[in-house]
Amino acid sequence: MTDKNDIVAKLNTYITQEILKRPDKTLTADEPLISGGLIDSFSLVDLALFAEQTWGARIDDTELNAQTFDTLNQLADLIASRTN
Amino acid sequence: MTLQQIFVFAALGLLAGRAYGRISRPWLLFAASVLAVFWLQPAALVRGFDFWLPAASLGLAALVWALTLPPDARPSREDKLAAAALAAGALLLAATRYLGTPILTASRPPQVELVAALAAVLALLAWLAARSLRGRAAALGAATLAVLAILVALKAEPLARGLNAALRSLSGQDPALATALDLNWLGFSYIAFRLVHALRDRAAGRLAHYSLRDFVTYIVFFPALTAGPIERVERFVPQLHASFLLGAAELQAAGRRLVTGLFMKFVLADALAYFALNPALAAETTSTLWMWLLLIAYAWRIFFDFAGYTHIAIGLGLLFGVRLPENFARPYSQPNLTAFWNSWHITLAQWFRAYFFNPLTRFLRTHNWPVWAVVLVGQVSTMALIGLWHGITWNFLIWGLWHGVGLFVHSQFAAARKGRPAPAAWQHAFSVFATFIYVALGWVWFVLPQPAQALQVLRVLLGLS
Repeated sequence: MTDKNDIVAKLNTYITQEILKRPDKTLTADEPLISGGLIDSFSLVDLALFAEQTWGARIDDTELNAQTFDTLNQLADLIASRTN
Repeated sequence: MTLQQIFVFAALGLLAGRAYGRISRPWLLFAASVLAVFWLQPAALVRGFDFWLPAASLGLAALVWALTLPPDARPSREDKLAAAALAAGALLLAATRYLGTPILTASRPPQVELVAALAAVLALLAWLAARSLRGRAAALGAATLAVLAILVALKAEPLARGLNAALRSLSGQDPALATALDLNWLGFSYIAFRLVHALRDRAAGRLAHYSLRDFVTYIVFFPALTAGPIERVERFVPQLHASFLLGAAELQAAGRRLVTGLFMKFVLADALAYFALNPALAAETTSTLWMWLLLIAYAWRIFFDFAGYTHIAIGLGLLFGVRLPENFARPYSQPNLTAFWNSWHITLAQWFRAYFFNPLTRFLRTHNWPVWAVVLVGQVSTMALIGLWHGITWNFLIWGLWHGVGLFVHSQFAAARKGRPAPAAWQHAFSVFATFIYVALGWVWFVLPQPAQALQVLRVLLGLS
């Protein structure tokens, strides 16, 4: 079982460093990422590829939207439910 | 939808709201949606087609349902009842041809025997699809292509004219009189996208099992039939089965949306239409100032018309216990083009992201294309297709490219600015203004069918003429 806190921490690092280019920033687990305009549609696909490569959790193209997940918490839950 | 039609639906919602203890809401919405497909369809210039087009919408929905059934699902008693209701409804409607004046269709329906024969063929096809083809990748792919091919045939002028000429010949009319607009297939642009959504999600193994009744209701739900929004089936169907009572709070919410929508569409948009940019006004106007006023009037007219329509669709949905998704979120107050496209025709943009942009971006990223090239190809091709969805013509293509290039430029600008502090209030205000002007200039391409005239108007707007 992959630890959810570990997923949140890894996602946080990836998003702040690779997508936002703000390594000094820390996201809160409930910050709206998509509806808040932090992550654009191109970076969402990169985020899905990162989740797939890191945890083997496939996030479908139709799921890359704020209705499916909008926060680190929700994304980590989705990934945790698709690993193991 | 006309005012009369909106009032009839609202009255039905109020009446039904008092009767849910005795009648089933899913069956009521199914029956109302099936009848509304015929009632809302405007007259078609090819004989019998104001009956055949709505019937084809329902037939396609039934076929796609059969094709997308899960492997272990067997048609239930309810599915058979829904299929029988569809066939009986089509036959009864066809029988109204003997009444003298058409009741629900725009003109006299075709012969009952012909309708019965085609309903039998359709039932056989659906049975075959469910028995031998369901869930097969090749069948799902072929069905997706077929739906898209119909869309292209209706939207491309030479194809539509040829198709109409052929159909006129079949029905004994003069093919020489065919135009591209003979077949005004109500709602097909939206129906096609709902069907493709179901077919692709089945191919990805993500489509749940829905009954025929609920699936058909989803495809042709009457508030969203004419102009969307494009709901997702997994959000729509559970709402049919949730408990619902039309109380004071629900009435107030629905009423507010309906009144807002009616005011936007039938007062603001219709008033602005008198001096909104159109080919005739564009040809008469040589003053830069007047041209800007015409253009700004058009920008607000198209917004009030479409956003008003969405308010009406959402308001009607709420009266029947279905919350349709929002399509607009203050698009003209957005500080950049990316934010504009997250708040203008939201459900269309989401559909294109899910079924075109994301798969394309994923493919290009996993094939090691450089980031800037992925963004360029992704944004420009997506927006070109969104343009062509409005009609396969040069002006809609240029309008799409205008936005695609704008989105690419903004994404590069945003990437260069990453890590910088948030803009000051005056910078934000300027960004909102500049975004509005860019979008408004884009409308010139959208509203004028002839690109040469659009260029002339742009020259006048920039004071170069």
